[in-house]
Amino acid sequence: MIYEQTQHDMLPQASHDERARQNFVQSLKVHLATNVSPGNKAVYEKRAKPRFEREHKRAPQDRHDVRRVMKDEPYYQTWSALLRTSQEMMWDSVAASVERQLPDLIHRAKGNGKTLGSLTLDPQLVIPSYHTAVDIHCQPGAYHTETTTDDVAAGAIYDRAVHVYAMGRMGPMNDDLGASLAAYVKHQYANFHPHKILDMGCSVGHSTVPYVDTYPEADVYAVEIGAPMLRYAHARAEALGKRLHFSQQNAEHTNFADASFDLIVSHILLHETSSAAIRNIVRECHRLLKPGGMMLHVEVPQYHGMEPYDAFILDWDTYNNNEPFWGTLHDMDLVELAANGGFAKEKIIQTLIPSAFRMARSRTGLFQGGDFGGGGEWFVFGAVK
Amino acid sequence: MATKAKGKKPTFFADPQVDKLMAIVMALAGEVSVLRERLDTVERLVETKGLFARQEVETYRASESVTEEREQWRSQYIARVLRVVREELDAVERGEVTPESYEAVVQAVSS
Repeated sequence: MIYEQTQHDMLPQASHDERARQNFVQSLKVHLATNVSPGNKAVYEKRAKPRFEREHKRAPQDRHDVRRVMKDEPYYQTWSALLRTSQEMMWDSVAASVERQLPDLIHRAKGNGKTLGSLTLDPQLVIPSYHTAVDIHCQPGAYHTETTTDDVAAGAIYDRAVHVYAMGRMGPMNDDLGASLAAYVKHQYANFHPHKILDMGCSVGHSTVPYVDTYPEADVYAVEIGAPMLRYAHARAEALGKRLHFSQQNAEHTNFADASFDLIVSHILLHETSSAAIRNIVRECHRLLKPGGMMLHVEVPQYHGMEPYDAFILDWDTYNNNEPFWGTLHDMDLVELAANGGFAKEKIIQTLIPSAFRMARSRTGLFQGGDFGGGGEWFVFGAVK
Repeated sequence: MATKAKGKKPTFFADPQVDKLMAIVMALAGEVSVLRERLDTVERLVETKGLFARQEVETYRASESVTEEREQWRSQYIARVLRVVREELDAVERGEVTPESYEAVVQAVSS
């Protein structure tokens, strides 16, 4: 299945050449993931691993051992340089297009005054250091930077770039993570009927929208630290006719009352935080959940139990794509994390769920750097209060 | 709008200049793809408008003179792309093989 992105009313329009530039990046990424990246394994088995064993008189024990020996392999160097370049070209190809039409996007985002949902910004919010230290996944300016009044650029760029980044495999609305988790909850917990739902770290609301569709009777809230993301998210939801309540808040400490929510979800939020922040977030989930409520966080699989090589290749982004917490998160003991946050150990959930768009073209069936969602499955970590 | 992401850019090759070169080559490859896509659009529009069918592009046979012109163009084009290789040989032939040989000229014109 080929999933073209739905041209909703807020999505930036691309000129012929802008579109062709984005198409090239997407094709380059597919080629790297399908034809180049898997070759690293043969290079490791035939060259790097024997070299490591000769030098150290033992087998590589973890992803760090593998990384140290692979960094000298010319094939790995070339793949890495190409992958990093594809990432920079991706942001460049989308950002130039958004910048050209930014005044129009800002105008459209303001809407006509009539809204289904709501948007609450907090100009006093302190952007956490784990988002200001480096620009996460190399998006220039990351989620929070504003360069003009009522800026929506970061959101507009993110909406289009995610489609290119995921090579279209997250569906026409980029909503694979939310759609997959919502479908899982609906199926696995058929008698669970959440009235209030919170999405933490919602960016432009790609993954938030499916909860409105899955639980039409529920009130759905979403928090995010970046104002330009939220302005765009709100406008996008309104354009799609979805009632969502967005507010600019840090998921570590929100202003919602205790026991406010039946269901709290996040989608690839945890790996963009820090060791301290993730503990606060889990504790905050516990505070915000009603008894019997559930928190569920979508990520890619943990490294525990993986071969050192597999963990290494999935860990590429930690060192090469401005994802500094990625590796630490994937090494964490999540049972301990949830238990420290107040959840009972026997009520912790760790499972793989199928992607809602498993049949998408260009699936590799692999979990590897630069091939986000290639495996066609997502890892879910959560707990019931 | 910022164009570079905050955070030290990694390099992968022994010489970081190779990383830079790789990025430049891929940018050019991207622009070739953009041109190809634009040409494809033009061909399709031409067909839609009934000027000629795309298949006529495939079955087009260049005349002898056109073939000659094209060969000349390709030859010049390839020479332009491989300029640096030709110039390396030129330098060897002229004996400009060391940085000192140039510095000697700097000295010579200064004194």
